[in-house]
Amino acid sequence: MRKADEQGFREFAAANAASLRRTAYLFCGDWHTAEDLMQSSLMKMYLAWKRIKDLDNLIAYARKVLLRTWLDEKRRPWRRAEQRDGELPDAADATVDPDTTSAKLWARELVHTALLQVPPRQRAALVLRYFEDLSVAEVAVAMGCTEGTVKSQTARGLATLRTIVEKLDSSSGRVAS
Amino acid sequence: MSEQEIREGMLLAVWDEPPLDFDPDTLIKRVEQKKSRRRALVAVGVATAVIAVASFSLPGLLPRDRDTQLGADTRTNTSAPPSESAEKRAQRIGDKLVESLGVRMTNFKELYASFSPGRNPAYPPYQTKAPEWKQDETDYAGYLYLTDAIGPTALQVRVSKKAFSKNGFCGGSAACQEVEQKDGSVVHTVEQLWDSPQVQQAAVAREFDSGLVVEITAYAYNPSNGNGQRETVPVRVGVLTELVTEPGINWE
Repeated sequence: MRKADEQGFREFAAANAASLRRTAYLFCGDWHTAEDLMQSSLMKMYLAWKRIKDLDNLIAYARKVLLRTWLDEKRRPWRRAEQRDGELPDAADATVDPDTTSAKLWARELVHTALLQVPPRQRAALVLRYFEDLSVAEVAVAMGCTEGTVKSQTARGLATLRTIVEKLDSSSGRVAS
Repeated sequence: MSEQEIREGMLLAVWDEPPLDFDPDTLIKRVEQKKSRRRALVAVGVATAVIAVASFSLPGLLPRDRDTQLGADTRTNTSAPPSESAEKRAQRIGDKLVESLGVRMTNFKELYASFSPGRNPAYPPYQTKAPEWKQDETDYAGYLYLTDAIGPTALQVRVSKKAFSKNGFCGGSAACQEVEQKDGSVVHTVEQLWDSPQVQQAAVAREFDSGLVVEITAYAYNPSNGNGQRETVPVRVGVLTELVTEPGINWE
């Protein structure tokens, strides 16, 4: 690869690595796996950089690669499935506001428990639509499907998520909105 | 739970994001290493394939002329070591016959030999299982299979210690000849027409002083299955005599 192209990739990777990892985290629910997915996606993009460097919306292409990498990883029967048999206790931080922390913990629970129970493609539609704030057309491009499919996947995903969140809220005593 | 709440929930879910230790240069280095590893793997695969193909095709491409073969001066003798089994001895003699016939008749293809114990060759259609070889087996017989321009056929080979009957071998033919060899053995040859304009049967028999008799017979049909009728024999007594007196074969 030419030096100029390599520099272009370096700049793109440095600028978008963090946001790709966040999206990957919402897909898979684990920061380590998210980092692996982000790096695998960027490696694929590096190999194809000569061909894709002039695309109008490179970040959309990167999201598409990330989504496919994650779905591929999920399909593999030998994929690493970490067995968690406990959680490290959180140490109390006296400097933080208890209400804010509670909201943040609930949000984390939303991802770890509720979002991870939504089927993969519905989850992808929800993350791209509400976290990445993409339009239906952009999500359709990223998922490689029609806009109608994105709408139906999103609607089903929302319904599933709501059901799970309601269950979570009722079991923890929190009132569902 | 509204869509706005879901959006906020997702944004909040990444609030405790661990610090990102990402270096594009390391990533590029890893990709380049992976690429070179893959290239090396492909090169090794291609080299292995080339070696495998060469090892199979090279023996067929080498000249079959004995004088030009590698290691011609150190040609192995087919005399069997004392401990060699009768089956292995027959197999070695068969291989040598195949080689010798291939050198003399370059138009023959798919040459191979198959022997079974006993004075008469096993006739496959009536044979339900392969006959068993005994260690002290002296008699064996079989076929030297070949394919020429007409089609597949075979030469019948018999090696036995039976008493040789010249009358039986010649079958009343006036063309029956015998030639004494330097080692004292006698080679008998005969070609039969059987009321046909062309030779229908060509046979040679080499009679050793020890009583061992080697007979090689060519028919105007395939003797291994009784089919493949043709106008004349695939080889005449000249070639059969060369086979039976092949210096590389120690029949005894």
